[in-house]
Amino acid sequence: MTFHQHTADVLAHEHLATNTFLIRLRCPELARAIRPGQFVMLRLGNRSDPLLGRPFALYDTVLDERGKPIGIDVVYLVVGKMTGLLQHVRAGETLSVWGPLGNGFPEPVGSEHVALVAGGIGQTPFLAHIRELLGTRGYAGNAPRRQVQRVSLYYGVRSADLAAGVEDFRNAGATVHLASNDGSLGHHGFVTDLLASHEVPQHLFGCGPEPMLHALAEQAARRGIPCHVSLETPMACGVGICFSCVTPVKTPDGWDYKRVCIDGPVFDAAGLKW
Amino acid sequence: MLDFSVTLGRLRLANPILVASGTFGYAREMAGAVDFAKLGGIIPKTVTKSPRAGNPPPRTVETTSGMLNAIGLDNDGIDHFIAHHLPYLRTLPTAIIANIAGKTADEFVTMAAQIGREPGLAGLELNLSCPNVSGGLDFATDAAMIHKIVADVRAVCPLPIIAKLTPNVTNIVPIAQAAADAGADAVSLVNTFVGIAIDWRKRKPILGNITGGLSGPAIKPLALRLVWLVAKNVKVPIIGVGGISTIDDVMEFLVAGASAVQIGTANFFDPSVSTRLVDQLPDAMKMLHAHRVADVVGAAH
Repeated sequence: MTFHQHTADVLAHEHLATNTFLIRLRCPELARAIRPGQFVMLRLGNRSDPLLGRPFALYDTVLDERGKPIGIDVVYLVVGKMTGLLQHVRAGETLSVWGPLGNGFPEPVGSEHVALVAGGIGQTPFLAHIRELLGTRGYAGNAPRRQVQRVSLYYGVRSADLAAGVEDFRNAGATVHLASNDGSLGHHGFVTDLLASHEVPQHLFGCGPEPMLHALAEQAARRGIPCHVSLETPMACGVGICFSCVTPVKTPDGWDYKRVCIDGPVFDAAGLKW
Repeated sequence: MLDFSVTLGRLRLANPILVASGTFGYAREMAGAVDFAKLGGIIPKTVTKSPRAGNPPPRTVETTSGMLNAIGLDNDGIDHFIAHHLPYLRTLPTAIIANIAGKTADEFVTMAAQIGREPGLAGLELNLSCPNVSGGLDFATDAAMIHKIVADVRAVCPLPIIAKLTPNVTNIVPIAQAAADAGADAVSLVNTFVGIAIDWRKRKPILGNITGGLSGPAIKPLALRLVWLVAKNVKVPIIGVGGISTIDDVMEFLVAGASAVQIGTANFFDPSVSTRLVDQLPDAMKMLHAHRVADVVGAAH
């Protein structure tokens, strides 16, 4: 559970889709320790506005020619003050980064077929997850180990121009099913409706807007599928010390707030008090 | 040979850099990022008599060079603290100062007596100033009540007592004087400033609690001025807290009259800042040709 703070060189920064970028950071120690579903905090150095770091999912580790992790990729959507400035950071500049943070995805129930369900910018934790599930890359010092035979990614966006990383997911070995709110890409409608029209997977993992995750959790309960969701709540520290990012979680005697940063971000959907 | 140790009443610290309550969890969370042995001390998150769920989210919002928080003393209660957090905390190679908040004067006294029986603590900080719970600010703004709580706590608890005061008063001097008169070993100046953030597009306040406490670099000059004011007018050791994130900030508070400082919100945005500031302290002291931290304290007066 321990994390470390580093100053990371920006190795590359590229535009993937509308308002969506991939930033590559050199941080070998962090890259060796992080696993899918975990996240990092990024902060622009030496300025007090914006003051706080922001949480970003691991997109994937970056390996050197011998396969050793030397950095991480983060894919982000420009949504506010911090990401508005982040998009202008260039290769050679540095960022403050701390991690690995959060619990990461648990091993799936069943070894046949797992479905990952993403909405909006919620696809970002799933590239590394696909590689971990299919055993094509090891994380946090663990050797690659195939956990399932098939991974499907259901990925919904508002419109086609916002879809980012689709080729990465296909190249990693996932079967990709696309949906869009305006019909400009794949299924015209909600990604959860597309999922509902398909075969039952053995385990569901979701990341995206809360209404989507709620719909996913309901569908999982209805179809009797184990389901874990990765939540995003406003965080000040990302490490468990500020108690900002809480979400209500069921307990034996009712419910209690749990910190999304340290008790999550991945939760059993059935345990959340929606 | 430089002497970094500081003495505040009966409290002796290896150096003047502490981490503030509510900004360092229960320390365990920070084990990878901070070398605890370097710190002057750790003040874990406030504990209350009974478990508290805390306020509904959103609990924090960033503001220009600062943040508002309204956590609402989310904690599992003093019994849980003693059973689950204290056994870890007391193994750490630095001073541990527990922090408690009571709903009533009696609760402060009961909890202080309970904490006072526990080994391995260097002191007890009384959170007399939480702006985000009902009753919190009522204590903080009443000098007679502060006097009573501090005096009653001292009578039942053998630990050095620190009274953490609010800046949300017309005049902080009589409040600090009351704490000093009642036997507080030190006062922590200051807790957060009450503020509000509004989402005008949604036509409503952002925080679940509506108001919150402002912290971070934005409040540093305000906190510094209150330290200055109390140092000038009250004979009591001061722990300065409010927006400290650089070694310059640390030195400003010491020179203004604080014997020690607490790093708060900076732990959120720069997790290893506290140990870095300890590392930077010798060079700053050398610039003032000071051999002891005590020689720097209040040098501006």
